[in-house]
Amino acid sequence: MTTTTTETASTKTSGWQELWSKEDWWAVWLGLGIVGLAYVFYLSGSSISWIAVSPGKWSTLSQLGTQLSKNGIKYFALLAAFLVLFTTVASFIGQKPKAFIPAFIFVFVLSAIIYIIGSWDQANHYNLEPPLVALLVGLFISNVVGLPGWLDAGFRVEFFIKLGIVLLGATLPFTLIIWAGPVAILQASIVSLVTFLVIFFVARKLGLDHRFAAVLGAGGAVCGVSASIAVAGAVRAKKEHPPIAISLVVIWAIIFIFALPLISRALQLPAGVGGAWIGTSEFADAAGLAAAQSYGGLANSHIIAGTADQAVAAYTLIKVIGRDIWIGIWSFVLALIAVTVWERSETHSKVEVGQIWGRFPKFVIGFLIASILTTLIVHGNTLADYNKLVKPSLILPITALRTWAFTFSFLSIGLTTRFRQLASAGIKPIIAFTTGVAVNIALGYFLSVVVFGHYWSSIVTH
Amino acid sequence: MKIFKSITLRNSGATCQKCVHFQNNPAIIEAIYPGLKTMSSGFASVREQDGLCGFHQIYLAAGDSCPNFTPIVTHLHQKA
Repeated sequence: MTTTTTETASTKTSGWQELWSKEDWWAVWLGLGIVGLAYVFYLSGSSISWIAVSPGKWSTLSQLGTQLSKNGIKYFALLAAFLVLFTTVASFIGQKPKAFIPAFIFVFVLSAIIYIIGSWDQANHYNLEPPLVALLVGLFISNVVGLPGWLDAGFRVEFFIKLGIVLLGATLPFTLIIWAGPVAILQASIVSLVTFLVIFFVARKLGLDHRFAAVLGAGGAVCGVSASIAVAGAVRAKKEHPPIAISLVVIWAIIFIFALPLISRALQLPAGVGGAWIGTSEFADAAGLAAAQSYGGLANSHIIAGTADQAVAAYTLIKVIGRDIWIGIWSFVLALIAVTVWERSETHSKVEVGQIWGRFPKFVIGFLIASILTTLIVHGNTLADYNKLVKPSLILPITALRTWAFTFSFLSIGLTTRFRQLASAGIKPIIAFTTGVAVNIALGYFLSVVVFGHYWSSIVTH
Repeated sequence: MKIFKSITLRNSGATCQKCVHFQNNPAIIEAIYPGLKTMSSGFASVREQDGLCGFHQIYLAAGDSCPNFTPIVTHLHQKA
């Protein structure tokens, strides 16, 4: 005799199950696993650089052909490794490998082409920054050409960006996080609070519901779509409110991916300062990294002052340390206000303080551990040893894998953005959100350039 | 103080998580909210176990509760 049990599609995961059911934790496991493996190879006098392949600079098609024929097998090996790792993740979080595998191969091949275009020595001259090219190619394919819906299984924007951020941690000294973290938190907190209050009170003035105003405010002030959906759950938003906030965040975030680097370039902001401004004023992690990496790329061609790493480091410190990690606190406080001030009619339960940890973006733990690990590994090496041994064997291969992860993410933003499917917002939410955006951009500029400009322009990333 | 009476570590008992009206499957939430996976994810930590209540038409935490709680029925099929 056998017994089978059927339940509804609702998912029950708690406690330890989170460790293998959430993308955040998988980004930590894979990111730290890669860093650990790289270190083991480094200690044995070898390197993971063979598989962490990336296109070198090229100027003629024959040079590119030679490069590809020499490294072709490495690209296949890298694709196979990514496929094994990512398909495992997809299976654990409940996606179908049958859909994920072809979708990811599509993402990898397109990303490789974009990466190769970005390595052309004239790419900057024609503004072919890989993050922007990836986004535009993705937007074109999803909105003009069209793709079958099942391919979405491979376009995991958030997972790719979180993995990339953990790997980024391995290339940032922990001393920088300690040194710049408090300033990042101060700057981001000022802008987040002011932006939230502006959106919230303008929305209320226009007659929008408290909870809807909070969902809009969090989206503009904290961490974009993630904040909107987290606060929506915390304050019990109406079903139709989160998609409106999501639409506004996505549209403004895409505009800023192109606008912020362009304006920063026109103002000749140093790389670190531009990165800080983008970190303060962009909404989602992936969108901001696309803008920051794109702007940092200009430093490589000496179009702006500073280094590419400064733009990405300043952005990450402000966005991840200054804004993302506080989402649990925002959700808890707003849930408490919803219960005690805004009146609750539909539900009667208490506010869970456990959500502060529950909503914490766990990939940040991987980012910090990776940074501590590499700082300990590098500690004791002279600058000459670092440049001769540590950098080529350990840091550069991790950087190459990070760039792959980011490119997958930027391309996936475009591939998943279908403007026709976004909810229409209505004039009142648009006015409230856009007012907050205007204040955010001006205040973010003032703090990043005028108040802390000297600080962000001189951050040391090695 | 009212504020302290309104706080708990985690709600238990007849919570939405165990209610038939509650839907929090990440893939379904992503399908219901287009754009969620563009710059976030149904599988992200920030979303915790939140989901949609089909009764009240609100998006809320799995630890929430209301007077309209209806437990999920578990069907046992016995085969000889």
